Formats: sequence, structure tokens, C-alpha cells
Amino acid sequence: MDARFTELLTPFLKFLGDREIEADSSLRDLGLDSMQAIELLFAIEDTFDVTLPDDDMNDATFATAGSLWQAVEAALTAQGVAA
Amino acid sequence: MTLTSQEVASPETQLTDLPDLPGQPDLLDLPGRVAAVAAVAAEHAARTDQEASFPLEALTELRRTRLLGLLVPREYGGLGGTVADLVEASIALGRADTSVAMIFAMHCQQTEAVVRHGSARLRAELLPRIAAGQVYLASVTTEAGKGGHLLTSQASLATAGDDLVMDRFAPIVTGGGHADGFLVTMRAPGATSPSQVSLVYADRAQLDIQPSGVWQPLGMRASHSGALRLTGTVPAHHVIGEHGQFHTIASTVFGPLAHLGWSACWLGTAAGALSRVLGLLRSPQGRGSTDLTSELLLTRLSKVRQRLDIVHALLARTQQTVLDSTDLSVPRVQLQLNALKITAAELCHSAVDELVTAVGMRHGYLKGSPTRLEQALRDLRSAALNYSNDRLHLADGRLALLDPEVRFV
Repeated sequence: MDARFTELLTPFLKFLGDREIEADSSLRDLGLDSMQAIELLFAIEDTFDVTLPDDDMNDATFATAGSLWQAVEAALTAQGVAA
Repeated sequence: MTLTSQEVASPETQLTDLPDLPGQPDLLDLPGRVAAVAAVAAEHAARTDQEASFPLEALTELRRTRLLGLLVPREYGGLGGTVADLVEASIALGRADTSVAMIFAMHCQQTEAVVRHGSARLRAELLPRIAAGQVYLASVTTEAGKGGHLLTSQASLATAGDDLVMDRFAPIVTGGGHADGFLVTMRAPGATSPSQVSLVYADRAQLDIQPSGVWQPLGMRASHSGALRLTGTVPAHHVIGEHGQFHTIASTVFGPLAHLGWSACWLGTAAGALSRVLGLLRSPQGRGSTDLTSELLLTRLSKVRQRLDIVHALLARTQQTVLDSTDLSVPRVQLQLNALKITAAELCHSAVDELVTAVGMRHGYLKGSPTRLEQALRDLRSAALNYSNDRLHLADGRLALLDPEVRFV
């Protein structure tokens, strides 16, 4: 995962504590609710200058840090933006 | 928990023991069973509403007809019914008594969670008892201090050896005073955040149950949804789904079945109300005292029928969506499910309100009218509050932002 991504993610995870964000870190368990998921999505799109496709808007995408990063990475590749 | 062979009848015994009902064309005979319960519910509806007491007679009939086991697969001795059967039964029961219909629909939603997410051992122990009419399930998801939020919990499960220890207060538990078992949401053992929620089954015999407060509501009075404190210990295999993963059950079972089931109950309530009004208007007495050519009356009847057809169409469509969708978490599916609940709650209530206006003070507003509009209107007032429409609109606003192309299911 990109360092910018984990840095961007951190403030949304109020129950993260001192732990590191791992690929299998559960975003829901760490405090990401549905309202914050929208704000996180906007932050990702602003930071990486990508648009995540509508088909990625499901529980599986937002399940873990790794699954969300995969979607971001795929969007970056699809849009020809260097990660 | 270990059950004796007497307590767990074999599936074969269950099937041959199904009650003989008049005109039983097949094993399921849903209409016959539902009609039997509806008749008992209607017989006692005025009293249970007046007393705000639980519809014990209707529950007994739900047990006798094995409808409590509607969604239990046949291999466990159940009727092996489908979501479509649940919707059909809920509409029919709603015509007779909204409280009974809601009690039934919510029990079926709980049953489906056990069927789909319970461990093999829990299913083997519990499902035959539900199928046999021995276990009526209540849901314990409400909690003080979380504003009705389904996906979080304040109270934590503790562990004692292999057992799970619960101490849980819930301000609203539909039918809690009479349930034989409870599905309870609590924070998973060792959870580090409120969203790590587990769903746990507890048998009444495993709990100390302390009711508190009085149940004196506007409508839905027979649902007897008072406050309870549950304390007790259950074995580890009573967790339904994985610890901390209740949100999966919420999005795949609780949400869809609640919105389909509730909407069906409300549609049934409004359809029953319209049917009784039409019966009155068409009776010799009604034709003698009402001008059936009144354009105002005809227009009002039309508007009522139109609202019910809208709800019915959306219910049928959403039912198909739930059947067809591999992922119910995508925004357009969630939006449709929420739209069903919000629309049914609003239109069923407004349809009965319109009927009150159409037939006036004597037949619409007074208690004791055979149209029973007064009770239907009070019962349906709860629909917008039962998992609040306001909360769903907030969720829908967020979901809409996640579907900028505005695609429909």
C-alpha cells in the first residue's frame, strides 16, 4: 500500500490506536462508518486524482485497507495515473 | 445445551405431524395455515389492542399450524417456505392484525439468520424446535445510548471458559415477555471498537429476564415491545456467524427480510382496511346511506387503491431483487430496499388516513367501527418509526452519492 494511502486513511480509523495499518486491517472494526466512507472516498479521489468506478461501491471494497487499496490501484492503472 | 430425543423430534415425525387443515392441497398449504392464524388474530384483535396485551391465542395458532417454522428447511422438519411465502403470509396476517403480522415476520427474519448463519450444531439443536412450534424467537438489537444504530453495540460479551456471558439491557424487545428464545446483538468478546458486533442465540431457560417499565403505546399495542434486561450464559456455539461479523447478517438477512416483511405487514393492514371499507360501502346498508356516485368519494377510493398498488408493485420488485442479487450491499440494491420500507411506511399510513376522511367520523374515526380504521391508523403510525425513515433517508443520501450514474436494479 502506498504511504500516502495509509496516511490518508489514518484519521478515519478512530479505533486504530498505536497499531499499523495492515492490508487485512478491517476498516469497519477500526471505526469507518458509512458517512466516513463517503468522505474517505472523496479524499482518495482528490489525493490520487482518480475516480473509483461505481461497481467498486460495495462492502467488499471497503472491507479492509488492502481491498480498498486494490480498488484504488486498479483505478490508477485504468486511468493511466502513476501510483 | 443438549436436547433429549423427546425434545428434538425427527424431521419425519414433524412432516407426518403437520396439522390437517381443511382443503390442504399440498404439504405447505400456506393459505390454509395463514387463514387459521388470521381468524384467531382477528377474533382477539380488539381485546389485545384495548389491553395492550400480547396476542397469545394467535401465537398458539402460529405454533399449532407450524407457521413458526415457515422458513425452516424441510430437512429440519420445517415447512421449507421461501421469502415469497413470508411476504404472502405477512400480507394476509396484516389484514387481520398488524401486531400479529409483525411478530410473525420478525420471528421469520430471526429464523432465517439461524438457517443461513448458525453453526451446524446450533441449527441441529434449534431448527427442529422452531419447526415444531416450540420456539418463538424475539430480536434484541435495540440498546440505550446508540440512537437505534443497528450495527454497533455498547454491551460486551464476556467469556467464561467456553461459554459466553451476557448482560444486556434493551429498551424495546417485540414480544420479549413471551419469546422462547432471543437473538441478541452484543459487542464481540475482546472487541476494540463498537462496530465489532456478534449475534448470539439465548434460550429463555438460559437467561434471567427482568422486564422494566410499562407498555402503553399509541399503536402496535399487541406487539408488547417492552424493555428487558437479559443476563445469562450460553455455550460458545450459540454465536451466529463469526464473532464481530454481525454486519454481514444485517446486510444479507436482517435488512432485506425486515424491509420485505414489514412492508408486507403494512400493505396487508392497509389492504384489509380498504377491503372492510369497500365491504361496508357495497353492503345494502352502505348503498342506502352513501352516495356511491360521489366524485369526491370515488376519487378518494382511487387514491387509496393507487397507493396500495404502488407499494405492492415495489414489494414484488424488491422481492425479486433480493432473490436475484449476488451482492446485496451495492448501493442500488440497498437504495431499493430502503425505498420499499420508506414508501410502504408512508403510503400505507396515508392510505388509511385518506380512508378515514372518505368515510368520516362514524365509520372512520370511532373505535368499534367494523372498518377498524382507527386501529389501523394507529398501528401504521409506527411504520415510519420502526427503524426510522429519517435514519434511512440519511443512509440513502449517502448511498445516492455512491451511485452517481443513477443505475436501477
